[in-house]
Amino acid sequence: MDQATHILQESGEHAVLMLHGLSSSPLEMRFLARHLNSEGFTAFAPVLDGYSAGSPERDMQAWVDAAVREFDSLAERYARVSVCGLSVGAALALAVVSKRPTAHAVVLLSVTLSYDGWAIPWYRFLLGWAYYTPLRSRWRYREASPFGLRNEALRAKIARAMQRNGISEVGPSTISLPALREASRLAKRVRASLAGITTDCLIIHAIDDETANPRNAHDVAAKIASPFLRTIYLDDSYHMITSDNEREIVASETAAFLRESEAARGIGSGAESLVVSKALARRLRQLAALGS
Amino acid sequence: MLLSPFLGPAMPGALFCVAAALIEYFFGLGPALTVMLVGLVIADYLFVPPYADFSVFDHSDLMLVVSYPGVTLFIICLIERLRRAQFRAEMFASVSKSRYEMLLRADNKRALRLRTIDETHRLLRHLPHYHDSIILIQALDRKASLRPDADHAAGTAHSLPHTSAPGSRFSAVHPADIARLQNTLSPGSHRLRIRSGDHTYKPVDCVGERFTTHAGDFLVLRIEA
Repeated sequence: MDQATHILQESGEHAVLMLHGLSSSPLEMRFLARHLNSEGFTAFAPVLDGYSAGSPERDMQAWVDAAVREFDSLAERYARVSVCGLSVGAALALAVVSKRPTAHAVVLLSVTLSYDGWAIPWYRFLLGWAYYTPLRSRWRYREASPFGLRNEALRAKIARAMQRNGISEVGPSTISLPALREASRLAKRVRASLAGITTDCLIIHAIDDETANPRNAHDVAAKIASPFLRTIYLDDSYHMITSDNEREIVASETAAFLRESEAARGIGSGAESLVVSKALARRLRQLAALGS
Repeated sequence: MLLSPFLGPAMPGALFCVAAALIEYFFGLGPALTVMLVGLVIADYLFVPPYADFSVFDHSDLMLVVSYPGVTLFIICLIERLRRAQFRAEMFASVSKSRYEMLLRADNKRALRLRTIDETHRLLRHLPHYHDSIILIQALDRKASLRPDADHAAGTAHSLPHTSAPGSRFSAVHPADIARLQNTLSPGSHRLRIRSGDHTYKPVDCVGERFTTHAGDFLVLRIEA
């Protein structure tokens, strides 16, 4: 496959910066970007130097700096900028919003602060030590079936693409040890900064996630200080929720959340987020009573 | 050491087994296994005669080393299974909660759509009914009013911005009132001067009504009947 390129679909004053997973490409976000664009958002999934596939690896500080630069350039051109991340990209999104509290909202898809899903072998902690051995530059973590996908037809297609090109629309076929180590350093830093994040936050996680246990999402939801926080659990997807069986739900809920977050701050007509249904009003009152 | 005469030789591992089971129940597998191993060492040291001495390994030590870990591991594994099943059930409960909330939001959206459809029907019934008394229909659509050329058109008195459409009585309204309306049209009652003879204008009560339709919001200004 050729060098991946960024995705930019312009429409509207609200831009969404979309950060893909570790050593992967913006292709992961293609479906979500299209949907957000059709809903009137500007979707931008950049290629980050040192983080995306095909660029020489750099440390996590360089990832955060590159993402913050992209955020700033969007903030110059658009009235509102939200950040959305998938997997390690979600951790990166948290790092960006903790540096830029002016971000409108943050959307965390399959947030990965530790690799502890059911497909991760119990001896994975050895990789942390392997970094200090000559294995560092030789051994690469090889992505294996199910590739984060519950949808079997899609999985077979991805397996063929992986064999042929070494990368597919759900990520690379291998990840290097230094990149994994930087990802855990990033996760450590993000965990420490969670309590200071007050940006509106949507968390979507699959309960059968094979890479990151839903505990990741639960921990983030428990620690983050956002006043408007919504957590959605899916049960028919694995890790790559933007490509798997429930991608339509992920896309429509993301767009709906961004609209509601706008309405909560008095932007837009507010007609979309009017509560007419009595059952919803009751549920919202219950949630508010729980929160207080 | 005080209890050892009573507990010691009979069931040296019993209390540690309970302790490990409790730790498993509250904190999980890792801490429970640690407590079990530490308990094994302490039980052997303090509760198996000869006390406070590791150097002798006899039949009672062997009994402890075989029975205590066996029973404890069995109990810990059972509790761990239940804990995992419980975690799984909690996850399913969160999924169903998420789905219920998504359903409620979708239902709310449907109710909103239904309401706009009703409004549209009301507008469509309204138009032929008051056909002869309508002065002006103005679109209040947010996107349309943001268009720069709409502002430009509003600057000239007799022409309307193209978010508005004249009704059958539009031409009878005093030009000064039309100019005033361009900027201050709102739902509610208005008083406009309407031509009654060749050159005479008479103040007449008019009413502005707002309609929310799927195509946007409209304001219909008509002479009050």
